[in-house]
Amino acid sequence: MKKLLGGIISLALFSMLAVPVPPAAQELSGTITLSGAWALYPMAVKWGEEFSRLHPKVRVEVQAGGAGKGIADALAGVVDLGMVSREIHPVEVEKGAFAIAVVKDGVVPTISEKNPVLDRILNSGLKKEAFIAIWITETAKTWGDALGIADKTALHVYTRSDACGAAETWAAFLEKRQEDLKGIGVYGDPGVAEAVRRDRLGIGFNNINYAYDAKTLKPLSGIVILPIDLDGSGKIEPAESVYGDRDAITAAIAKGVYPSPPARDLYLVSKGRPQSPLLVEFLRWVLNDGQKFVSETGYIGLSPEKLADGWRKIEGR
Amino acid sequence: MLVLTCVPAFLVLLILVGLFVRARPILAEKPFFSLLFSSSWSPLKGNFGLFPFIMGTLWVTLVSLVLAVPVSLLSAVYLSEYAPRAVREFTKPIIDLLAGLPSVIYGVWGVLLVVPLVGRVIAPFFGVTSSGYTVLAGGIVLAIMIFPTIISVSLEVFSSIPYPMREASLSLGTTKWETVQHVVLKKGLQGIIAAIVLGLSRAFGETMAVLMVVGNIPRLPRSVFDGGYPLPALIANNYGEMMSVPLYDAALMLAAAVLLLVVLFFNVLARLILVRVERRAA
Repeated sequence: MKKLLGGIISLALFSMLAVPVPPAAQELSGTITLSGAWALYPMAVKWGEEFSRLHPKVRVEVQAGGAGKGIADALAGVVDLGMVSREIHPVEVEKGAFAIAVVKDGVVPTISEKNPVLDRILNSGLKKEAFIAIWITETAKTWGDALGIADKTALHVYTRSDACGAAETWAAFLEKRQEDLKGIGVYGDPGVAEAVRRDRLGIGFNNINYAYDAKTLKPLSGIVILPIDLDGSGKIEPAESVYGDRDAITAAIAKGVYPSPPARDLYLVSKGRPQSPLLVEFLRWVLNDGQKFVSETGYIGLSPEKLADGWRKIEGR
Repeated sequence: MLVLTCVPAFLVLLILVGLFVRARPILAEKPFFSLLFSSSWSPLKGNFGLFPFIMGTLWVTLVSLVLAVPVSLLSAVYLSEYAPRAVREFTKPIIDLLAGLPSVIYGVWGVLLVVPLVGRVIAPFFGVTSSGYTVLAGGIVLAIMIFPTIISVSLEVFSSIPYPMREASLSLGTTKWETVQHVVLKKGLQGIIAAIVLGLSRAFGETMAVLMVVGNIPRLPRSVFDGGYPLPALIANNYGEMMSVPLYDAALMLAAAVLLLVVLFFNVLARLILVRVERRAA
């Protein structure tokens, strides 16, 4: 026993001596942990992969669970960076939330491709008032009510059950907050997509990256993106028809054709200004070279000024 | 050893006290009973009525018990009294396996199968249109989760009843079913109640599987085809917003304390019934 203990101690001492020998020749190592918004998850995974390719000793661990979890985890110090897909509340800033906008995306309303009045919906779209009648006041109980026609097909409304940016942003579009959104609460972004896909009378909302297939860039099979009647003309004109594939909708968001909200900035949040060299380097890379991967992953890049602002904020200037 | 035994007993008390301490900010603003019996839940406006969630918990649990108890008792009776040995030996490990499955699996399975079943078959059968995300779907998933608990505990109980008692009954000319009714079920009543309470406790606390199918609508359910929102789902869903809305964390702590109280209440109730049954048996 004693021998074994002695062995362990000497081994420990030896390894303590051994580790600092190469004085960390500027090579980054360690683990960066992220958690939070489903909206940012695919982007963070991509950034994580590319960053660890540049710095093989760095591991980036990403976990999805909704914007609320992201900010709660970051403020509790459980993770290095929270992924947040909504505006940061003042209460959170008071508690030390330090947010950097890194990329942009949007939330789109989704319905099933088997919807009985699909042609009609695609033709005329829905106005903002109709969405308010569906999600907030619940005065639209049938698809006829929503479209303003005589049709008694029931309408099933879905929302998110977890505290999340998609719902918060969609509610912001309707000038409310997530808790004001009525409807069946389903957990997670993929959960809502699945519910809408299966329910031909359903309507929900999804982040672009969960409404479109990452490979084909078309809307997920079984899902149709509901066009928003932006000018209130009661008809979807070619200019408003921006949902064909993922590139079309991201271009529309970049040009400002698709309004904001439901398009929105996505943030990485740390507790206080990031200090560790690893974290600072990761954020610097994300704001510079990391932006190369933004459009191929299905997001919209921020303006150079906004990116530079972010970096100045990190440097504390 | 005595000290060690006391630890779990005090732990429950400690957790309860801890939860109430954390919930104090909200209790300081609003009386406990108005929080408990108010139906309006809008945290940003400062309304934290827990009543829809308490009712959601009770509804889902009740539905699951109504579905699970008869089925699992009858199958336990069959397995212990009627089934050939081979069937019993084959079934038992499968039931035990069911008890050990992670609840997320039940949840996913519920979304894929139970929700469409309720929405497309059961609800139209009763002339109701429903998306399927309902109290009933939650109850069904939960019932399937507590089957194994009730069955395997009941099986243990039945096997502890001495065989000669059954023989005595049969020798008096009773049928097998009469023996089950008057000997097995009667003698095993205590154990059956214990088995149901075990199932009940699991049903109250189950979070993930129920959350995924129950619809999460903070409103009083009026029928089993309405969506509900049980307490554990409330805590799990909104844990993330705790930091950003004033009093929210206190409200969630209160919800947790209330859940604990509800579970305690039913456990004590079951204990009382047990004591009464024991006394009658003596």
